[in-house]
Amino acid sequence: MDSITFSGVGKRYRKLWALRDVDAAFRPGEVVMVIGPNGSGKTTFIKCLLGLVRPTSGAIHVNGERIGADPAYRHHIGYMPQISQFPPALTIGQLLDMMRDVRGLSPERTDDGLVEDLGLSAQLGKRLGTLSGGTMQKVSAVLAFRSAPGILVMDEPTAGLDPLSARTVLGRAAAVRERGGTVLITSHLMEEVETLADRVAYLQDGTLRFLLPLREILARTGTDRLSAALPLMLADPR
Amino acid sequence: MRGGRAFGRAAGWTLMMGLGGALSAATWTVSPEGPHSGLKAVLSAAAPHDSIRVLAGTYAEGTVTIDRPLTLLGVGGPVIDGGAQGHVLVITAPQVTVQGLVITGTLVSNLQDNAGIHVDGVDDVRIVDNELRNCFFAVHLSNVRRALISGNRILGDPATPETRRANGIHLWRCTDAVVQGNLADHHRDGIYFEFVTGSRIEGNTCRGNLRYGLHFMFSHRDDYADNEFVDNGAGVAVMFSHSIRMTGNRFLHNRGGSAYGLLLKEINDSELRGNTFTDNTTGLMVDGCNRVHAEGNTFRSNGWALRLFSNATGCTIAGNSFIGNTFDVSTNGDLMLNTLAANYWDRHLGYDLDRDGHGDVPYRPVGFFALLVERIPYAIIFSRSLFVTLLDQAERVIPSLSPAALKDDRPLMRPPHG
Amino acid sequence: MTMGKVLYYTLVDLARNRSVLAFAALLFVVAEGLFLVEGEAVKAVLSLVQVVLALVPLVALVFTVVYTYGAQEFTQLLAVQPIGRSAILGGRMLALGLSFLVALLFGLGLPLTVHAPGATSLVLLVAAVLLAWVFLALGTLIALVNRDRARGVGTALAAWAGAVLVYDALLMTLLFAFSDRPVEPFVLPVAALNPIDLARIAVTIQVDLAAMMGYSGAVYKKFLGSGPGIATALAFMLLWVAWPTVLSFRVFRSKDL
Repeated sequence: MDSITFSGVGKRYRKLWALRDVDAAFRPGEVVMVIGPNGSGKTTFIKCLLGLVRPTSGAIHVNGERIGADPAYRHHIGYMPQISQFPPALTIGQLLDMMRDVRGLSPERTDDGLVEDLGLSAQLGKRLGTLSGGTMQKVSAVLAFRSAPGILVMDEPTAGLDPLSARTVLGRAAAVRERGGTVLITSHLMEEVETLADRVAYLQDGTLRFLLPLREILARTGTDRLSAALPLMLADPR
Repeated sequence: MRGGRAFGRAAGWTLMMGLGGALSAATWTVSPEGPHSGLKAVLSAAAPHDSIRVLAGTYAEGTVTIDRPLTLLGVGGPVIDGGAQGHVLVITAPQVTVQGLVITGTLVSNLQDNAGIHVDGVDDVRIVDNELRNCFFAVHLSNVRRALISGNRILGDPATPETRRANGIHLWRCTDAVVQGNLADHHRDGIYFEFVTGSRIEGNTCRGNLRYGLHFMFSHRDDYADNEFVDNGAGVAVMFSHSIRMTGNRFLHNRGGSAYGLLLKEINDSELRGNTFTDNTTGLMVDGCNRVHAEGNTFRSNGWALRLFSNATGCTIAGNSFIGNTFDVSTNGDLMLNTLAANYWDRHLGYDLDRDGHGDVPYRPVGFFALLVERIPYAIIFSRSLFVTLLDQAERVIPSLSPAALKDDRPLMRPPHG
Repeated sequence: MTMGKVLYYTLVDLARNRSVLAFAALLFVVAEGLFLVEGEAVKAVLSLVQVVLALVPLVALVFTVVYTYGAQEFTQLLAVQPIGRSAILGGRMLALGLSFLVALLFGLGLPLTVHAPGATSLVLLVAAVLLAWVFLALGTLIALVNRDRARGVGTALAAWAGAVLVYDALLMTLLFAFSDRPVEPFVLPVAALNPIDLARIAVTIQVDLAAMMGYSGAVYKKFLGSGPGIATALAFMLLWVAWPTVLSFRVFRSKDL
């Protein structure tokens, strides 16, 4: 069964359609990379899934349930936003405790392995207001993974991270896939997409141009690089 | 001085009577147990200048008349009950003293001024330390010289309707009277004077009277000192009189649409010193007065502390304190021929660079809002609105509506007393 | 349950923020200063009335607006958790309301109780708390409706000026213009439509009763001095808390974060 389905989802901000009639289904055990130019609707796409933005039309189902006012489905979702900002007066440790409390996670069911892996252990006492952008992203990554979610959503996860941390985070994402989870990642780094993606979704002007296995894209275009395949695909997506 | 002279005369006469009594007068005793049990019988048997001791008990003999100079002295609070037949006690002879009696049972009538003690046309009467309960008029004097009314408790019933009430102490065409230390409550007017001159009213308390605590008209050269007027329907009204001195009186809690701590109407050449006006709808209203001098008075927590009408002339308001009033001064026209000088105004925010105790720039106590409320009374509900406060400040800096002369050139920086 | 957690963590954040504490301290210093300078409790309370009627709505409104914008990231963080929108907004509004209550009890209630215990002080305190809540609700609504922070703060300031100044100015102008017509019965009800005016009248009828009685005071006293009148006034203030709150929930439930 599909873990996430978008059926005719559209989102209009005043006169501008940021997302237009998107149909898509995502399965357990796959990583889907969502790509597209700036302003193509990637973030809106993700925000719709998370309930941060209410679609103007269409429906989204998570694990068979249509999402709406009931927030329970978000128990299954871990989310790492593109830019993280936290209450500046709290320390990292306090934030982690608070978010665990808010999510109703018990300490033993909380997977904080990333704290160690990203080198945050020594910084738990630091106030969030004093952190660098990279460290904030690390904290954000910890929050996304710790509930061992069945669905992982990451918006440009590696943008602010050093290469080593980026690899750690992407490795974790791959582990979620191995565990049978669904992973959605937006990115603009083609090499990153090529190493991780099972399927690639391409958004342009709010429209889903294609959602195809990476292998098929390469085979169809007869290239070995996604960056080379894209122009050919866009010329003739079918 | 005038009151003092009146009191001196009364005291001198007492001395004479005392000497005469010692030489020739007899002392009678009336008691319910006998031998003399009838008050009227003893009064008609007694010789002039005799004393009659009235022992405790109730004497219900209808209207009792004292027609010769006698001293009637109650012992243990004997009750004289008139049985609602007219007056209770009528004094028709001079030099009568009535002391220590409890008097009740006047007939309420719209045609007659029935009183607990009624005196007409005789002089040197002393009415001392009596209690008058639920009388129509309590003490009613007309055409009396040198009366002493002192230490009486004149008690009405709060439940009595207005039509069945008359005045507590009522004097008409009297001179040189002394009215002191009496309590008058729940009557129509507590103390009422008409054509009463050269008299002294001192240390009395008038409270809960339906109309005025003190009401006088055409009564010149009188002194009013240290009296207290509390919770009267319309406060105190004094009209059409001249040469009045009012000192150390307290005007409290007189509230209502037309209630005044003190209303002065057509009063000339008079003085107000050291009085306190607290918690009245209007503390002091000055209407059509000439040359009234108010000094050292304290106006506290009144609706309007002072309403100075523009038909008043030559009045001076000096050295008074205005504290916590909704309005300090209001007036009703553009003309102002009176003087405000060196008062303390709690709203005054001026400075005193030369440290002489007076603000360096004139203070204008009449705000825009006071003038507005004078024109549109129900605008009062905007009291203490920020808009009103700002307008008032603007009005004080750039006076455009209030009379230009209505200002205090030397406002005090601190209250002048206590 | 989850609302309780949002309430708790917002309170923790507000306690760290110190602005509410500063507000309480400011009120306390102003109140104590007035009692000290005036020397007379009556006068100090009268001055406090004006300070409170202007300052409390302003602080409640501006603080709520600024805090709501400042909490946007925190709100997003909460909104992607399994927490409903109503719990997020409800928890935050409750936390702000509680903070204002505590600030007013300390900053205003304490000096009033020490220097001028009595009915007037009680009415003033209750009016201050209700006003704080009214403008908390209005501030929340303003911040939710205006995406742009500068515009939100501007709207809040305009709303405050309107309630504290412009409304009375307009009403008094109308009163002046129609002073020859029988508008008297409408003045109080129309003035009381404005929560600041309602609070002011409720307090001043205690303080300036003498002057109020000068005019057909029976009407006002009957309205605001009696049990049903107090109940009406309270209900009206709560209505002013309720409608922006309800609207805020409605806006927030479908708001794009």
